Amino acid sequence: MTQQDRTDAFSGFGLGLRSAHYRDFLEGAVPVDFVEVISENFMLDGGRPLRILEQVRERHPVILHGVSMSIGSAHGLDDTYLDRLKALAARIDPLWVSDHLCWTRTSAHNSHDLLPLPLTGEALDLVSANVHHAQERLGRELVIENPSSYLTFPEDEMREWEFLAELARRTGCGLLLDINNVFVSAHNHGFCADAYLAGLPLDRVRQVHLAGHTPGEIIIDTHDRPVAGGVWDLYARAMRQLGPVATMIERDGNVPPLAELLDELDLARKTAASLEHAA
Amino acid sequence: MSLLAERQTAFLAAIHDDEAALPAGWGARQAAGMDIYRNNYRVALVEALKDTFERTARWVGEDAFERAAAHHVITCPPTSWTLDDAGNGFPETLAALFAGDPEVAELAWAELVLHRVFGAEDAEPLDAAGFAARSARFSPEDWDRLQLILMPRTATRLVHHDIAAIWRATGADHAERPGDALPGPMACHVYREGEQPVFVMAPPEEADALIAVQQGATFGELCAWLAALRDPEEAAAEAGAMLGRWLSGGLIRGLALRG
Repeated sequence: MTQQDRTDAFSGFGLGLRSAHYRDFLEGAVPVDFVEVISENFMLDGGRPLRILEQVRERHPVILHGVSMSIGSAHGLDDTYLDRLKALAARIDPLWVSDHLCWTRTSAHNSHDLLPLPLTGEALDLVSANVHHAQERLGRELVIENPSSYLTFPEDEMREWEFLAELARRTGCGLLLDINNVFVSAHNHGFCADAYLAGLPLDRVRQVHLAGHTPGEIIIDTHDRPVAGGVWDLYARAMRQLGPVATMIERDGNVPPLAELLDELDLARKTAASLEHAA
Repeated sequence: MSLLAERQTAFLAAIHDDEAALPAGWGARQAAGMDIYRNNYRVALVEALKDTFERTARWVGEDAFERAAAHHVITCPPTSWTLDDAGNGFPETLAALFAGDPEVAELAWAELVLHRVFGAEDAEPLDAAGFAARSARFSPEDWDRLQLILMPRTATRLVHHDIAAIWRATGADHAERPGDALPGPMACHVYREGEQPVFVMAPPEEADALIAVQQGATFGELCAWLAALRDPEEAAAEAGAMLGRWLSGGLIRGLALRG
């Protein structure tokens, strides 16, 4: 089976591997089909984190999910970063490597936040070139996640789903559909979440993210609480349209005991199973 | 620079500076969104500093630490893709902010280099038996040109406060806070034992000696340096004792012969 075949075929239910749960994953059988890790936390020369990841990898498939590639950077990609990521991928043999449709740095500074792109033809050309470059340098397909965002630009020329669809068409990249991010951005920018789903090339979606957010006039994507009801509803509607995908719960703040996240993951399993039975 | 690059540079400048003018054409919605990005940026970086400098935060108190961290984030915006580097320069920031409490910057330095060594390349230290076996057939000339290869990212500096006591006082056991500065400066070496970053306090001359070794000085040069510093007749014995401490501590991973 080639890397691409494996990517195309994979489906299942997983969690983000966080340090609070390292011991659970090292000491026992955790009922997940995969784990996802933040790539940058393991792009190290050595030490305990890498050893833990290698031990977890012996039991579970791993997805490398990055936050610092800055695929939308107009100042170019950082080849040193890409080479370190490639080395980690060679060491871990992940299911795939993903990052966000955003930018995080200029030539001088790094924001360590996922900053929004104007949805223009200029930006699409730039991100497409960067995705091509990253895929060539990494020697593998890149999977791009839709971000949550808190502002749109007056110069926008297209919708985010149109941008992603064209990006996938031009570059062959996969997509990571963050259902919570669709929900958050739909609220913040006043578009229809179902129109977003309808506009995406769903056959390019490899993975789904589910996470919690902080409600408000502007919803903030905080990953610090359980998945909201409206996000579960949108997940169910998305899963009716998607093919085999990996579903994952992301929790980065107020990380609860593992059992609590596993219960939440079971909700995703049940939702997906109920749709299969209904079909 | 492309139009998009100019806009991204201006966007990040606006995140760094609350007073920065927002782009023409932006309204209240964009301004509200920018406030969220500004807040996210600062919270993420201050949290990263709290994670790395946990004991420094306990030593100075949470409020004072948060103010110092927020100041650092504004005056030294990060340049690296990894949050692990967000603490670069923070000990210097603290040295300026806590000029009357110099132990704060020394503790922060220790936490920063301990954090760095945590992800250093894996290596096995050379023990005394291994060293003896490798050096058994050294000629006097070989000893002169012997270079010691240190464990990856080993760091050292002179400190004027008892970092070990401060470490205990800021740990889970809440040991008593040490008072005055040390009677004289001491070296503080930071390295990794297995997967565990550690530090040891050592005689002061070891700081310069370890830095010289790290930069390629030979054992012969170390002896010559000590001879200039102390009694020449005791220099070789002192260098040997120093070498013995480094071997038993696990700071040395290999040997090389210059030239």
